[in-house]
Amino acid sequence: MDEEPERAKRWEGGYERTWEVLKEDESGSLKATVEEILFQSKRKRVIESHGQVRLGMMRHLHVVVDCSRSMEDQDLKPNRLTSSLKLIETFVEEYFDQNPISQLGIITTKNKRAEKLTDLAGNPKKHIVALKKAVGTVCVGEPSLYNSLNLAIQTLKHMPGHTSREILIILSSLTTCDPANISELIKTLKSLKVRVSIIGLSAEVRVCTVLTRETGGSYHVILDESHFKELLMLHVKPPPASSSSECSLIRMGFPQHTVASLTDQDAKPSFSMSHLDSSSGAVLSLGGYFCPQCHAKYTELPVECKVCGLTLVSAPHLARSFHHLFPLQAFAESPAQELHADRCCQACQGELKETSIFTCPSCCCVFCLECDLFIHDSLHCCPCCIHNQTNS
Amino acid sequence: MASLSEEVLLVLKKVRQRKQDGTLYLMAERIAWGPEGKDRFTVSHLYADIRSCPSCVLCTGQKISPDGKSKIQLQLVLHTGESTTFHFSNDSSALKDRDAAKELLQQLLPKFKKKANKELEEKNRMLQEDPVLFQLYKDLVVSQVISADEFWANRLGDTNHADSSLSNNKQEVGISGAFLADIRPQTDGCNGLRYNLTADIIESIFRTYPTVKQKYCENVPHNLTEKEFWTRFFQSHYFHRDRINTGTQDIFSECAKQDDQGLRSMVVQGVKNPLVDLLSLEDKTLDEGYGVCTTFPSTSNSNRTVKESSNSAIIKRFNHHSAMVLAAGSRKGETPADQASETSSTDGNSRDSDFFQPPVKKVKLQEAIEYEDLQTENRPKTVALNLKKSDRYAHGPVPLQSQQYTTSQDIINSVNYIRHEMVNYKPNLTQVLSNTTASSAIAALSSGGILMQAATQQAINQMVPSEVQGELRHLYAAAGELLRHFWSCFPVNTPFLEEKVTKMKSNLERFQMTKLCPFQEKIQRQYLSTNLTGHLEEMLQTAYSKFHVWQTRRMLRKT
Repeated sequence: MDEEPERAKRWEGGYERTWEVLKEDESGSLKATVEEILFQSKRKRVIESHGQVRLGMMRHLHVVVDCSRSMEDQDLKPNRLTSSLKLIETFVEEYFDQNPISQLGIITTKNKRAEKLTDLAGNPKKHIVALKKAVGTVCVGEPSLYNSLNLAIQTLKHMPGHTSREILIILSSLTTCDPANISELIKTLKSLKVRVSIIGLSAEVRVCTVLTRETGGSYHVILDESHFKELLMLHVKPPPASSSSECSLIRMGFPQHTVASLTDQDAKPSFSMSHLDSSSGAVLSLGGYFCPQCHAKYTELPVECKVCGLTLVSAPHLARSFHHLFPLQAFAESPAQELHADRCCQACQGELKETSIFTCPSCCCVFCLECDLFIHDSLHCCPCCIHNQTNS
Repeated sequence: MASLSEEVLLVLKKVRQRKQDGTLYLMAERIAWGPEGKDRFTVSHLYADIRSCPSCVLCTGQKISPDGKSKIQLQLVLHTGESTTFHFSNDSSALKDRDAAKELLQQLLPKFKKKANKELEEKNRMLQEDPVLFQLYKDLVVSQVISADEFWANRLGDTNHADSSLSNNKQEVGISGAFLADIRPQTDGCNGLRYNLTADIIESIFRTYPTVKQKYCENVPHNLTEKEFWTRFFQSHYFHRDRINTGTQDIFSECAKQDDQGLRSMVVQGVKNPLVDLLSLEDKTLDEGYGVCTTFPSTSNSNRTVKESSNSAIIKRFNHHSAMVLAAGSRKGETPADQASETSSTDGNSRDSDFFQPPVKKVKLQEAIEYEDLQTENRPKTVALNLKKSDRYAHGPVPLQSQQYTTSQDIINSVNYIRHEMVNYKPNLTQVLSNTTASSAIAALSSGGILMQAATQQAINQMVPSEVQGELRHLYAAAGELLRHFWSCFPVNTPFLEEKVTKMKSNLERFQMTKLCPFQEKIQRQYLSTNLTGHLEEMLQTAYSKFHVWQTRRMLRKT
C-alpha cells in the first residue's frame, strides 16, 4: 500500500531520505542492521581513542584521486568524480583545521599515468581552488597505482624523519595498469616508512589489501556517500607514530603580530614574502609577522619562511593539536529509563527520548546521543565542565 | 688528425666530397672524411654538433645530375646551419654504403643529442615559462651581482625534485590487458571500419608483439606508409580470430609462426610454483554440464570437432596475449631480487609468499590452507607518550612569584553587561550566517584582519606610485633569492659551505651597493618621504650580523 508510491518516487528521484530508515525497520530489511553496525563502530572509536600515545602530528599527506573511466559512474550523485572532489574539499578544510602544522598535496591518476594537481603545501586555499577546477576533467583510461605511488614518493622521501609520511588513495577502478612489479614498490614504501591508506569506491581489490597491510594503513570500501564522508574524516586524526620514527627537537619561530601606523617615526612599509609571486597579492603594508631569524615579513601563519626555512607558527596553532594528545574521556552510557522523563540534555536542551544517555564522569551532566558524538568529534571538551570552571 | 685510440666503427671507400675522392670514417664520437692518398681528415664533425637525422634530408630525394645519372648522397646539417654533402660513388655498392652509414648515424646521433642540448633547452624553457624567474635572472645575472653559473647551480639543484613536468615526460606506462579490445572500430558509413590508433595503443602493440615491431621497422617507410602498414595489420588474419595462413602474401604470416613457437617454449618452461604443473592441464569432463561433454575420451586430439578446434584456437590466442602482456611488463629490465625469483610464479595464483616471505614450499602449502581474513586483526604497536608534568600544557608560562593582577573598571563593566545580555539570549536559527561567512567575518574582525587596520593602510598604496612599487617588488624577489641561499648555508659544517657563505655575503653586499642604494637615491629625489627600503636593509643587516657572529665564533675556535 505505502510501498507502491514509495517505489515510484525512488525510481524518479533517487536521493536519500532519512525518514525512510524508520520504515525499513518495521519490515526488517538489512539497512537498519548496517546502520547499527556503523553506529557501533563510531562509538567504539570514541571509546578506544588512543590517549597517551605518541602521535605523528607533523604530517605530510598526499591524496591520490582516481580520474579513470570508472569515475564517470553515476552511483554517487551527480557522478563519482564530482562527489569525491566535493568531499575532499571538506576533508582538506578539516585536515588543516585539526593539523595546522601539516602539509597536503594532491595527485590525480588517469590514462595509465599520474600527475600532480598541487604540490605539498600548508595553505588550504590553493588546494581548494585546484579541486574546484578539477571537476571538469575528462575521465579516461585506467588508473596506475604504481605511477601515482612513485610520484608521491619522489617528494615524500625528502621529508625529515620525524614527520609522518602518508598517502591516501581514493580508488574507484577495479584494475590498475602498472609498468613494473608493484611488489617491489611496496617494499620501497616500507623501507621509506610511508603509510598508505585506501578508500575504495567499488569493491575490495587484493592488491590494495596487500598494499595497506604491508605499509600499516587502513583499507575501507564505501557503502554510500555519508559513509564515504565518515571514512574520509577518519584520516583527519593524526595517526599513532610508529616505533621506528625518530623523534627530534624541531625549531619553530613564534613571531608576534606587529601593527604600526604611518604616524610612527620609523614606519617601514614592506612586502610580504609569500605574496611576491602573485601579481595581485603583493601589497605594501605596515604590520605583519616578522620572522625572528631573518626578519622577512608574512601576513598569515602558519607558514614556512621562504628565506631561512624556519617554521613559523603561533601558539594557538600548536594548542589546537593538544586535544589529540589529551582526548576527552568517553562518557558513561546508561539506559534512559533510570531517569525521570522531564530531564533535558544539558547541551542542546532537547528532550531525552533516546534509548541511552551519556554522563560526563567529572561533572555528572547528562547528554543525548547526538550531543555526545558532537562533543567528542568536534568540541573536544565537555561544555558543562568549562562552564563550571569559569563560574568558580 | 686521426687519433689511433678512437674506435672506428665503419669505413667507406670511394666517397666524394666537394668533387674530391676520399674515404668516409665513422668513429665513436665523430664522423670524418679524408681525401684519397692523404692520411689526415679534412672534414670532421662531432655527432653532438649534427643537428638533424641525415636520413630525413636526402633519402627520398636523390639529386638527378644533368647527365641523367642519379647521385646517391648523404647530407649532414650542423647546428650552426652549415651542411656537408657526401657523394657515394662506388658503382657497385653505393646504395648499400649509404644505407649502412645512415643506419649507424641514426643509432649514434640520439645518444649525443641528449647531452648537449638538453641543458640549454631546459634553461631557456624555464626562463620563458616563469616571468618571475626571468626577472630574477635579469636582476641578478645581467647586472652582474652573481654569475650565471652560480644562478643556475642554485636553481637547478633546488628545483630538481620539484620539477614535475620533466619527470612526467619520462613516466613509464604499463600495458593495459585490454588494449586491443579498446581500439573499438567504428563503422565508416560505407561498409568500412575506422580504427582510431593513438600513440599509446601503437606503443602497446609494439611492446607486446615484438615481431610486429620488427616488421614495422623493416617496411616503413620504404615499402609502405604507416597508414598502409596498419591497414594491412588489421586486415590480416594475424589480427583476426581465425589464423588460417593464406600463403605468404601476408607479411604477418611469419609472426603467427613465431608466436606459436614462443607459446610452446613458455609452456615447456613452466611455472615456479611447486603446486602447479602446467603440462598436466587439459579439459576434463566430470559430468554433463561440467566442462566439455563428449562421449570420446578427451585426450585424443584427432576426435576434436571443428567447433572445438576453433574454440581452442581462440583460447590459445588469449593465453598467448596474456603471456606476452605480462612478459612485456617484466621485460623492462628489472631484475627481481633473488628471494622473489625463487618463489615467483607467473600464474594467476601468485600469493604473498611470492614476495614477502621466505621461499619454502611449506609456506606455500600453509598459505593454501589458511585464510588470513579470518584471523584476528593485530594492530601495529603504538608508542606510549611519556610526558612529565602534563598539566603544563594546560596553561601558559607561570610567573615565578605570584602577582596581583587588577583589571580596569571598564572591562569589568563590559563583562557584566554581556553576561546580563546572555541570560535572555534565545537562538534564532533561521537567520544565522553560514559557517564560511561567519568564520571570514571573525577573521576580518580579529587583530590583523581587513576591517581592523588603521585607515592609513590604504593611503600607503596610493602615496607610492605603482612603478616604484613594481621595482621594489623585484628588489624584494632578488634579495629574497640571495638571502635564501645565504641562510641555507647554516649550520656551516663543511668547507664547501664556508666558502659559499662568504661568497654569498659578498654577493649581498654587492647587491646592496649596485641595486639598493641607487633605488634609494632615486626615490629620495622623487621626494617620497616614506622609508621604502628600510625593511630590506633590516633583512640584510640581520644577515650581516649573523655572518659576523659566525665569523667571530670560528676565529675563537681556531685560537
